[in-house]
Amino acid sequence: MMNRAAVRKALLGVLAVLFVGASGKSFSDHRRLAEPVVLGPGVTRVARLADYHATLRGTANDINLYVLEGREPGGTILVFGGTHAEEPAGRLAAWLIVEHATVDKGRLIVALSANRSASTVTRPGAAYPPTYTIPTAWGGQAFRMGDRWSSPLDQWPDPEVFIHYPSGQYLAYSDIRNLNRTFPGRPNGTLTERTAFAFMELIRREGVDVAIDLHEAELQYPVINTIVTHQKGQEFATMVSMMLTDMEGFSIGTEFSPLNLHGLSHREIGDHSQAVSLLFEAPEPFLDATRGRTDADVLLSGQDEFVVKAGAHGLLFAPIDERGWPIATRVGRHTSSVAQTATTWSEDHPGRAVIVKNIPRYADLLAHGVGYFLRDPARAEPGRVAHE
Amino acid sequence: MFAGAGVVLGVMVAVYAAARALRLSTELAMVAAALGGAVAGGHLFPARQIAEGAATYLDINLIFITATLFMNLLKASGGVAFVVRGILRRFHRRRALLLAMLALVLLVPGALTGAGSVTVLIAGGMVATVLGYMGISRVRVAAIVFVVASLSAAAPPVSLWAMMTAAGVNMPYVGFFWPLLVPCLAAALFTVFALGWRGTAADLECALAELPEAPPGMSWWRVLAPFAVFLGLVWMGRQWPHDTPVVGLPLMFAASALVSWGLSPVPVRVLRVASDTIEQLLPLLATLTCAGILVQIMTLTGARGLLAVTAVTLPVAVVYATLFLVLPASEAVLMWGSAPVIGVPLVLLFNTIGLNPIVALAGMSIIWPLGDALPPTAIIGRLTVDVVGYKGPYGGFLRACAIPALVMAVIGTLMVVYSAKLAWLTGI
Repeated sequence: MMNRAAVRKALLGVLAVLFVGASGKSFSDHRRLAEPVVLGPGVTRVARLADYHATLRGTANDINLYVLEGREPGGTILVFGGTHAEEPAGRLAAWLIVEHATVDKGRLIVALSANRSASTVTRPGAAYPPTYTIPTAWGGQAFRMGDRWSSPLDQWPDPEVFIHYPSGQYLAYSDIRNLNRTFPGRPNGTLTERTAFAFMELIRREGVDVAIDLHEAELQYPVINTIVTHQKGQEFATMVSMMLTDMEGFSIGTEFSPLNLHGLSHREIGDHSQAVSLLFEAPEPFLDATRGRTDADVLLSGQDEFVVKAGAHGLLFAPIDERGWPIATRVGRHTSSVAQTATTWSEDHPGRAVIVKNIPRYADLLAHGVGYFLRDPARAEPGRVAHE
Repeated sequence: MFAGAGVVLGVMVAVYAAARALRLSTELAMVAAALGGAVAGGHLFPARQIAEGAATYLDINLIFITATLFMNLLKASGGVAFVVRGILRRFHRRRALLLAMLALVLLVPGALTGAGSVTVLIAGGMVATVLGYMGISRVRVAAIVFVVASLSAAAPPVSLWAMMTAAGVNMPYVGFFWPLLVPCLAAALFTVFALGWRGTAADLECALAELPEAPPGMSWWRVLAPFAVFLGLVWMGRQWPHDTPVVGLPLMFAASALVSWGLSPVPVRVLRVASDTIEQLLPLLATLTCAGILVQIMTLTGARGLLAVTAVTLPVAVVYATLFLVLPASEAVLMWGSAPVIGVPLVLLFNTIGLNPIVALAGMSIIWPLGDALPPTAIIGRLTVDVVGYKGPYGGFLRACAIPALVMAVIGTLMVVYSAKLAWLTGI
């Protein structure tokens, strides 16, 4: 009996070591994965978010800011992806802009991982894949899949209820780790609140004219396939939406930021800075609670029979069929929307124009896919590769 | 996709049933089902997914542990005995008030910890003693303790069914206080009056002789001060949210436990109480951990999506009409695991058809705990029978619970159906 018990315990011990080793390695690899970014011809320098709020230095959210400056002075547009790191189209669109865009006039500032901490963790219970790989001609590039909230390793515990600063509005306790609920942030707050504050400082100090926050949403969410705009940008966003619908071959609506819903970038950036704030939403069936299998293929293909069935019963706010919403379509919607925003802004404000070229557009993405536009870091010029 | 997820779900159900037939615990059966489903879904060793799933309810487990430690220290210091004896002395001539006060004593531990078992262990025995000396039959006493303990688990501030389901649909656990408190309080009072009204006058001397003595020096302020600390910390966090450090609910309960220990008039071996607390909670902690693993694998393989899309596309009338069966049955099989597995798709459905998801979920939370008396698990039902000392057949105990259970099912279902009209309860 003693021997059998000892053997059983030894076997369980070995299994436990294997289990802890395998899962621990996966968590560690995910958190440490360095994603290469090839600095495109338009990138003139790489700044850090901690330059705008020093308490971020050395934290997970001291992120790269890619600055693309034109030869002529003009306005400034800020584009940030990765506010919600479980919405990859926003990050990838920003990636393609950094690797390809050039600026003739004015300035473009781009962040790829606005809440980098959130990109280093996946959500318990959601079974997200830790990474996904975009196939390329040179073999493919792996990216971190992330979560909506900052990692508890960087910010924990949550309060009993999250009370937004400065409005005093009550929000869900976990949203104290949601960057898009903590704007305009606090200089001495939590990591996520300080990140939001640093973005606000960046926007104020650099005189940003337009701030664009790139997102994706589940199809059961009513705010989808749309531009959400602060009231300062109502006419402007409507014009961008009309131009996109006319010129690019996809329809996108406009919605106005609710006056009393606080913490979101489209509300607070507009309220607390000179900038016009916009938020773009693309559809991501992978986020729907009715989704079927949860893996990187579904994340990238956007194809899901269960979500299609929910749509057939009229339960969704965006159309979907068996073709799904592939990542190229979602990224293309964002890149074209950013390009059109710059164009419309420049036409309306010649003195603060931001003339941007060479952003891959919706039709380009549909024709070639995302991987076609990712640059091979092995072939980049020395000193022209950064890491996220 | 439908066929694949269906096969995975079928394998999970078969493995779960086989594991239970082999007398594995519910927790191990859930893990076995998860592993079986993972293999059927093509994941031979999903170590990361299992580890991540196990951590899903880590915060809730910490609340569970610290709140129960607080309650156990209060009991060990003689605070609970002091309260029950005090209530009995003051109200023994007023049956209605005595019943109402005993219902409140039963509601508090479970409301703070989210666990009906904590209510049964902390206060069940003492309340049962008093009820017994009020001329109430042992089977009815057991029914009162079980039903009110079940309601205490659903009562705010900590209702695990509501918290777990809300987390599954990205809904903040905000606005639940009144939608949970009002029906729990109403059903608890109905239960004690329906089952406890008939009897004899309370026999004060005999009851006091049988109840544990309150230690000399115990007083109301020593009992209430730890609660004041907890409420004070909550109040500070809300009054000065941007000047108060974020400590979280577990540390607030731990602070209350520390105060309770410090104010005890008798020496309390805190490490022994802490050790006993963990031993007492281990099955419940294991349930939450294993439910997290099961849900993670169901999500990974599409089994959860299959349940979700099936539920949201069912005729609503069918859903309404079967809530009183589906929720307790799922609770009896999966315990709290039923909240993310069954609760999430139902709340999605209710939200989609325009019901108020908070009130609807609160209504469901009143119905779920009825399953805690049903086989195969019946954990809290059996625990109650043991603690109260009811020696009759288990079926007799279930029959004694029938009328309050029916009332809870009706209240819960009506809350779901009329949730849109009851949205004012949320205060949002």
